[in-house]
Amino acid sequence: MEHVWDFESVFTNWRLLLTGLGNTVLLAVVCLAIGLFLGLFIGAARYSKNRLLNVPASVFVEVFRNTPALVQIMWFFFAFPIISPFRIDSFTAATLGLSLNTAAFCSEIYRAGIQSIHRGQWEAAKALGMRYGEQMRRVILPQAMRRMIPAFMNRAIELTKMTSLASVIAFGELVHQAKTISTIEFNPIETYTVVGFIFFVMIWPIAIAVRGLERRLSRHE
Amino acid sequence: MGYEWDFGVVFRDFDLLLLGLVNTLKVTGLALLFGVPLGLVLALLRLSRHGMIRIPVGIVIEFLRSTPPLVQLFWLFFALPILTGINITPFIASVVTFSLQSSAFFAEVFRGGIVSIEKGQWEAAKAIGMDRGQSMRRVILPQAVKRMIPAFLERVIELMKTTTLVATVSYADLLYEANTIAQATFRPLEVFTVAAAMYFAVLFPVSLFVRRLERRLGRTGEGTVH
Amino acid sequence: MTELLKIEKLGKSFGALEVLKGIDLTVEKGETVVILGSSGSGKSTLLRCVNFMEIPTSGRIAIAGKPVGTERNRADGWIQVDYRESELIGIRATVGMVFQHFNLFPHMTAFGNVMEGPRTVLKLPRGECEARAETYLSKVGLADKMHSYPAHLSGGQQQRVAIARALAMEPQLMLFDEATSALDPELVGEVLQTIRSLADEGMTMLIVTHELGFAYSVASKVLFLSDGVILEQGAPDDVLVRPKQQRTRDFLRGHATYKLPDLAIT
Repeated sequence: MEHVWDFESVFTNWRLLLTGLGNTVLLAVVCLAIGLFLGLFIGAARYSKNRLLNVPASVFVEVFRNTPALVQIMWFFFAFPIISPFRIDSFTAATLGLSLNTAAFCSEIYRAGIQSIHRGQWEAAKALGMRYGEQMRRVILPQAMRRMIPAFMNRAIELTKMTSLASVIAFGELVHQAKTISTIEFNPIETYTVVGFIFFVMIWPIAIAVRGLERRLSRHE
Repeated sequence: MGYEWDFGVVFRDFDLLLLGLVNTLKVTGLALLFGVPLGLVLALLRLSRHGMIRIPVGIVIEFLRSTPPLVQLFWLFFALPILTGINITPFIASVVTFSLQSSAFFAEVFRGGIVSIEKGQWEAAKAIGMDRGQSMRRVILPQAVKRMIPAFLERVIELMKTTTLVATVSYADLLYEANTIAQATFRPLEVFTVAAAMYFAVLFPVSLFVRRLERRLGRTGEGTVH
Repeated sequence: MTELLKIEKLGKSFGALEVLKGIDLTVEKGETVVILGSSGSGKSTLLRCVNFMEIPTSGRIAIAGKPVGTERNRADGWIQVDYRESELIGIRATVGMVFQHFNLFPHMTAFGNVMEGPRTVLKLPRGECEARAETYLSKVGLADKMHSYPAHLSGGQQQRVAIARALAMEPQLMLFDEATSALDPELVGEVLQTIRSLADEGMTMLIVTHELGFAYSVASKVLFLSDGVILEQGAPDDVLVRPKQQRTRDFLRGHATYKLPDLAIT
C-alpha cells in the first residue's frame, strides 16, 4: 500500500505541539527537582541506623522501583483522590507519580555515589578532626557528586521519556497533543514521527553528554 | 478518614487480573525472545570496524533509546497497518514494539559486557591464531555474558514495567484489566492498589536477586552495572 | 644452520610516532635471542611485529624461508608489503607468544586453556587436543593443576600455563614479551626455569626481558635496542660484559643489582 506522507498537517498545528512541548519540559523539570531533593533525604533515611527511618524509606524505594510508572500515575489519578485531602488534577497526579518514582531511583544513586568513595577518605577527614557532617560535606559529597552526575543525567533522560505516560490521564504534554492532532487530521504516522523526533532532539544530546562525562571520569580515576 | 476499604470487589474479579498478569508476562516473554538475539546482533554490528555498518546501527539504537516507548508503540500501532497493508492486532503491535525497543537496550548491555573484557584476552586469542569471530565466540562472549547478567536482568525488570503501555492500545494486560474492573466497580483505590501489588510481587524478587548477584560479581570486580 | 626468521628494514609507526626505524635481524633455528632495551625502545613492538600482532609499516619478514605477504614494487627502495588477514592468522598459529600479564582465559581451566588453540584453530580431534594438553602441562610441571581455573593459580603457575598454551600449538618460534615482569620476585625463578629448559631442547626463541642474569646465561645472541634501532648485537659476553656503546653501558649500569660475571661496565 502506498502511503502519501503529509507532514504539513502536522506543522499547521504547531501551536498545539509547542504547548505540549512546554508541558513536557515543565513536568520533567518539576519532577526532576523534587526527585533530586527528596531522594537525598530518602537515601539518608534508608541508611540511617534508626529503624523508624530506614524501614519506611526502604519500603518506599522498593515499591516505587518495582512497580510500573504508569501504574503509579494511574494510581495517583484514579485511586488516590478518594483518600486525598486535596483535589487532584492530571498534572498533580503525574507530578506525584513521577517525582516519587524519580526520588526512589535518585536515593539509590546518592547511596551508590557515597559508597563508591574510598574508606580512606572518611578516615583522613576524621583524622583531621572533622565531625560526621563536615566529613560528608567537605570531603565525601564533593567527590561523590562528580561520579553521580552521569547517573542523574540518565535519570533525567528516563524521566523525560516517562512524562509521555501523563498522556494516559489526559495531561496536555507532547503525546497527548499528538493524539489530539492525529484525531483531527487523521495523520497519526506523521504526527508521531514528528513527536518522536522532538523527543530525540531533546534527549540525545543529554545521552551524548553522559557518555562524554563517563569517559572523562573513567580516565581520571 | 471516612473511607471504607472493600477489597472484596477486587477478589471477585481476581481471575481477570490474573489473566491480565499472564498477558503481561506473555508480552514480556515474547519481547525477550525476539529482543535479546536482535540486541546481540545490533551490538556486534555496532562494534564492527566498518563505519558503513557501525554508524547507521548506532543511530537506530540511539533513536530507540532516546524516544519514549509510548511514542514508538503508537507509531507502530498506526503505521504498521498503513505501511504494510496488514491488519495488526494490539498484541502484535505490542510485541513488535517491545522487541525493538528492548533490543536497543539489550544491545547496549551486550556491548558494555564485550568492551569490558580486557584487551589482553583479545590479544591472547589472536596470538594463538584465532580470527575475530572465533575470539568473540570462544573467549570474549563467554566471559562477557557472565558480567552482563545483572545489567541484563535489570533490563528485564524495566521491560516488564514498560509493557504496561500496551493497555493504551487496548491489549488486555494487567493494567488494562485493572482499569476495566475499576471502572465497573467504582473501586479504583482497591483495584489499582492490588494491581500494583501484583507487579511488585513479580518484580521485587527479581530485583533482590539482581542485587545479590551484583554484590557477588562486584566482589570479584566483574559487574558491568553501575 | 637454517634461517628461521629474517627481518629486513622493519619499520613501525603509530601515527606520527616512529617506534621501529629499520630493524635487520636474522635468527637461526634453535637460537635464543634476548632483546634488551629501556622502556620505549621498541623491543615489545619488534616482538609483536614478528607474529603480526602489529602490522609493520615497512620492511619485510620471512619465516622459515617464506616471505610473509605480497611485496609491492616500489622504485624508491622503501619496502612495503600487503598482508592478508588469513595469512597472518596462519603465521600466528605457528608462532607462540607469551605475554607479560599471562592473559589466560579465566573461564577455562588450565587444561581448557591449553586445549583451546589445537581445538578451535587447528581443529584437531578432541582426543589429540587432550593428549597435547596433558603433554604440555606436564612439561611445564603442572600436571597436578590441570583442572584448576586461573584464578586459583599463582602468577608463576599461570604464566607456565600460558607457556603450555603456546607450546600446544607446536610452534616453530616462541616469543616472550617480558614474561616475568608482572611476577612477584619469588615466582620469577620457576618461569625462567621453564624457559631455560625450552632453550635446552632447541626451541627457537625471541625473549624480551629485564632479567640480565638470565639473559646472559640463556642467550645465544643479545640485541640492545635503543630508539627503534639495534644499537648493538652479539654474543652475551660481548654485549653484556664488554659493551661498545655508551648507551648500552648506561643501561646495564641501571640494572647493576643483577650480578653479572666479570661485570666490566664501569
